[in-house]
Amino acid sequence: MSVFRNQLAGKIPVTIVTGFLGSGKTTLISKLLPHPQMNRVAVVINEVGEIGIDHDLVTMSSENVTLLANGCICCSVRTDIQETLRDLFARRQVGEVFDFDRVIIETTGLADPAPLLQTLTSDTLLEARFRLDGVVTLVDAVNAYHQLNETPEALQQITLADQILLTKTDIAEEASILELEQELNAINPDAGITRVINGQIEPDQLINLGLGSTKVDLRSLSFLNSILENRSGDEAEGEERYLGNLIKKHPNIKTASISFKEPFTWQNFSSALDLLISLRGPDLLRVKGIVNVEGKPMVIQGVQHIFHNPVTLEKWPSDNHDSRIVFIARNISAKSISNLFATVREIQ
Amino acid sequence: MSNISSPASKSDQALSLNMKLLAHHELGGFGGLGEGISMQIDAKGRRILWLAHESAPKNFSGIDVTDPANPTLLVQTDLPHMKLRSNSLDVAGNILAVAYQASAVGIKPAGVDLFDVSVPEEPKLISHFDCSGPHSRGVHALWFVDGKTIHMASGAGDFEPTNPLDDQFYRILDVSNPSKPFEKGRWWYPGTRVGDSAPPPKRLSGIFDTGFRAHNTNVFPSHPDRAYVGYIDGGAFVLDISNPSDIQVVSHWNHSPPLNGFIHTLLPLLDRKLWVVSDECVQDNGLDWPKLVWMIDARDESHPLPLGTFPMPNPEAFVKRGGRFGAHNLHENLPVPGSFISDTIIVGTFFNGGVRVFDTSNPLRIEEIAYYVPAAPKLSPAGAIQLNDVFVDDRQIVYTVDRFTGGLYILEMTI
Repeated sequence: MSVFRNQLAGKIPVTIVTGFLGSGKTTLISKLLPHPQMNRVAVVINEVGEIGIDHDLVTMSSENVTLLANGCICCSVRTDIQETLRDLFARRQVGEVFDFDRVIIETTGLADPAPLLQTLTSDTLLEARFRLDGVVTLVDAVNAYHQLNETPEALQQITLADQILLTKTDIAEEASILELEQELNAINPDAGITRVINGQIEPDQLINLGLGSTKVDLRSLSFLNSILENRSGDEAEGEERYLGNLIKKHPNIKTASISFKEPFTWQNFSSALDLLISLRGPDLLRVKGIVNVEGKPMVIQGVQHIFHNPVTLEKWPSDNHDSRIVFIARNISAKSISNLFATVREIQ
Repeated sequence: MSNISSPASKSDQALSLNMKLLAHHELGGFGGLGEGISMQIDAKGRRILWLAHESAPKNFSGIDVTDPANPTLLVQTDLPHMKLRSNSLDVAGNILAVAYQASAVGIKPAGVDLFDVSVPEEPKLISHFDCSGPHSRGVHALWFVDGKTIHMASGAGDFEPTNPLDDQFYRILDVSNPSKPFEKGRWWYPGTRVGDSAPPPKRLSGIFDTGFRAHNTNVFPSHPDRAYVGYIDGGAFVLDISNPSDIQVVSHWNHSPPLNGFIHTLLPLLDRKLWVVSDECVQDNGLDWPKLVWMIDARDESHPLPLGTFPMPNPEAFVKRGGRFGAHNLHENLPVPGSFISDTIIVGTFFNGGVRVFDTSNPLRIEEIAYYVPAAPKLSPAGAIQLNDVFVDDRQIVYTVDRFTGGLYILEMTI
């Protein structure tokens, strides 16, 4: 009689748009807002005034909320994003704004997105009502080299990205764009890279980036693709990937794909993960994976010391029931992570 | 936000969460539908959705929903006259039972028709069970899931109520021979029949006096000795029907007074020993608010304990949409092939509040997980959607109907 329920149903997906200073976030948002597919989307913007919304498109506005003719809700941040999201949800509940079914947040240029991800996970109200869909990072093809090497936030934005939008590719040289794409791919091999000119993108490119359902369908599979792909032919288990140019540019960052054949109990998996977080949390730039917990497929995602609530899938996406986890980490080898999990399992 | 009016209060606005409209069928212009939705899986494996119309001239319709995105109207029948309505129906196997209620007492026909729908395109009348009488309007609602027994809210030729609003009581029909149905049991609220030793019940005041009569009368074949009965202003009853000629009250719960009456459905979650009780909103513009769905702890069925109510959208926004806003029919876990059965996921209709889906895994903290509120149907006299009833099939496809003009909405739940 009990029905398997998608635990993520009912949570409003949130896309975070981040990017380097001058990478074209404002241009992108201003092109996005009037798009017909943006009905039922709430866009949280730091400063609405900067966007320059065409007044003909505005149907109603007050305080920090502007409603556009296409049904898009444009909301400027008042105190902080946490308060703004709480306020937006409350207004949605009482019917003061359209019942938006998606949120896009534009962060400030220099921001490290990690604290925002932390807010979405740790704020009890927000965690119950919203879920992170993904991080979209805009990278300026002209100035990226300099920014990547000079600002730690820029590197963090790349590491956390689910989708990278490469801007200003019309005024950069093709050879340097190719080299940049290689470098970005080396830092974060899981993120898709798309070239964008003058902010012209489809809203679809910003959505359905993350785990949208615990039912094993096309959407959840696309999120897990990079993990589910059988890479064992290319690399030995527990080894870092070939990092190419990254070794000389960002020698400390390593992507480790680790798999375990034997199922975990939740206690021994979470104990090992807790231990790793307590020892090296700040260096775990990005973790995602599918873990076999007593036979059930459980999806984990984390950034530094912040992990989302683990989500159990309805069933395994394929016959491969191994635990498979990808770590993008600073100065931690795949072997030591693998050993840590093995040791904790042994002790328990 | 003072200069932004509430979008939720605007009836031209469709609202949705985790539900997607697959198809909308206006039933050939007769889109006012009642409280009868039932699914037949026919000999060819087709899924036929049978719908009772809210009012004359149409009787019932059969729609092929095998492909839920492409519903096809197979048959639509007419009533013999305009003073009749076929508010309720159920199909068990290939037998369709239809309830007839007249607009006033003394009108014929009023009762139950049984049809053979082996060929859904050509329903064949098997028999008519007469429930008309000088004090009877006939049958308002029926429950027919085992192919042998009909449980119903009905008047009878020999029943004179102490108040005309109390004319329909709980009756059990044996239809194991569908050509010769007969009554095998009945129960009414003590004091509602002329000649009862009990005094007539104290009525609710003014517009809230809607009657001490039966509405939904649910009996699950897995628990054949219990009837779960919504008795409108009389509250919710659980009856011991193990001896149909001597029906006994096991349990009684009512929230009115102080609330405004009209308990409609008692849906037991049998394995969890919980009851879900729904009210019916019967006044426009929020005049009888609150009309809610209740969660009741029934571990001791003789001492039901209300745990709380299901979360509702903001009434201040919805009462302005037009028509009624509040609880009404639930998907009742019909124990028949093709029906969705869950003891945690509850689906209900709320008139202009649309169709709403709840997760009751934690009965103390019920969570709304999906909803769909269609925009106002064309020519609706309420000026807003008025979702009246809902059925969910085992593919988690939701069928919900408008009371006036909107017809059938077929939705996919992504929960």
